Amino acid sequence: MLTYIIRRVLLIIPNIILLTVLLFWGVSGLLGSPAGMMLGEDASPAAIAELNARYGFDRPIYEQYLSWMWNALQGDFGRSFTTQQRVSEAILPRIPVSLELAGFAILLAMLGATILNSIPFARRFLSTFNTGASVIGITVPNFMLGISLIYVLSVKLHWLPTSGWVNWSDDPGEHIRRLIMPMITLSAFYFGSFTLVYRAEYRAVYRQLFIKVARAKGLPEWKVSFKHALPNSILPVITYIGLSLGQLTGGAVVTETVFSVPGIGRLFVQSITSHDFPVMLAISMIIIIGVVAMNLLADILYTVVNPQIRLN
Amino acid sequence: MNSVRLVGISVIFTVIALAIFASFLATHDPNKSSIDFLQGASTAHWFGTDDLGRDIYSRVLFGARTSLSVGIGAAIVATLLGVPIGIAAGYLGGKVDVLVVQVIDLFIALPGLVLALIITAMVGPTLINLMFILGFVMWPTIARLVRGQALGIRESVFVEAAKALGGRSSWIIWAHIWPNLLRIVAAQFAITVSFAIFTSASLSFLGLGVPPPAPDWGGMVRTGFDFLSITPLVSLAPGGAVAFTVFGFYLVGSTIE
Repeated sequence: MLTYIIRRVLLIIPNIILLTVLLFWGVSGLLGSPAGMMLGEDASPAAIAELNARYGFDRPIYEQYLSWMWNALQGDFGRSFTTQQRVSEAILPRIPVSLELAGFAILLAMLGATILNSIPFARRFLSTFNTGASVIGITVPNFMLGISLIYVLSVKLHWLPTSGWVNWSDDPGEHIRRLIMPMITLSAFYFGSFTLVYRAEYRAVYRQLFIKVARAKGLPEWKVSFKHALPNSILPVITYIGLSLGQLTGGAVVTETVFSVPGIGRLFVQSITSHDFPVMLAISMIIIIGVVAMNLLADILYTVVNPQIRLN
Repeated sequence: MNSVRLVGISVIFTVIALAIFASFLATHDPNKSSIDFLQGASTAHWFGTDDLGRDIYSRVLFGARTSLSVGIGAAIVATLLGVPIGIAAGYLGGKVDVLVVQVIDLFIALPGLVLALIITAMVGPTLINLMFILGFVMWPTIARLVRGQALGIRESVFVEAAKALGGRSSWIIWAHIWPNLLRIVAAQFAITVSFAIFTSASLSFLGLGVPPPAPDWGGMVRTGFDFLSITPLVSLAPGGAVAFTVFGFYLVGSTIE
């Protein structure tokens, strides 16, 4: 087991290095001179040269990459072009916000999909509703769902504030009120895909012998469903969560932008539209490394949970 | 014929018809501004007008052209990349397969929208660029699926027979592998179109869409978002159009599989 984990971790490292090289080369090669972008088109060549020398843009690209990587490994991602703030200081406080939103969204989707599809009578009556809701969840884009929620719940009914964020430490009630709509928006897609994945497995499990045994010994139907069928059908959903983490960051970017949530995704969009190269690079790297690491973690967890698939 | 798929097919045909006949069906010039800005739905402006007084209904119609071209274009690029690579890996196996699987795994783990955002920021959002970017982001899913299928078909008796009769690889791929892949590729093509439209609309909502003044659904939602409390249709109409189109292609793709 340990050797398996070590080998997987070692295999990931070249991938991460390759990705960071591609990203760095792509961003700096294709975006053109950062100095030209920062100073505008009318900048004098002398000013551009001075700025290039100050930020080190005049060095060969591999040298820039190595020094960037060396600093990044020590936690120094440089300074933002637009605000001159340290990139690490701009990003760090935003990470918990994004993680909280994403975590609650995944949890909501998972609970919703497994519970709604396990209620015994749901198989007959709720089935059409669940199918409809999951197709809507998969096909309605986050921004459309978010804006519709804002229109109905905030503009028309005045139940919830339209957008923005309040810290838990400042006002817990308000924090939760502002979390509701982004959480629903982000979880919709996952509710849909989890429902499809879970239901397929659940139906297969329900045809197995131990379900018949559970019924034969007189267990009520809901106990058969929740105690025997549910735990045995949840594994594919867990695998699916691992596979969909990449997708999740994309959804989070859109959702955070719609609801003005001060998370890492919104900062990412801002850095892209304002050509803030260091922030954009740092967030891309964090997202890429995070997603690759989480995928690995999901793989390892899967082998721990299910000893049948210990690959050699 | 499955009734759900029939619904999907009618949605797709409706959207395609609206896009083709947009110039006949439109009631106004989609790019002509007027002083009647931010009006609600009326007989003159069926979906109201936006902040520059342009007719939303006509803009939604013309927006279908942009969305469909990007979606279908991206799916074609993804298929042209994914199918040959997938067949090569699955049928030839060996070192090619190991390499391809590595690359696919690497790309599939990456967030499509984030990748598309980065590349679009680098090369600029034009119609052609968006097709290639989204196609490039989506080819690994097709390649993985095709590889898995090709791997299975390679082991079947008819391929073995063809080999025993001295058929060359190129002939076997053309005559035996490809026809058996057609169905799954068609399904995945529809799904790819739906996600390409979804992603390109998200990109334009975030500010990296086809540049104005061309009507573009994601961009329209973005502008309308500021006026949600005055005239919700400015953003809800194009947003609904995105959802409707994505829904149609998704239904068709998921029922073929």
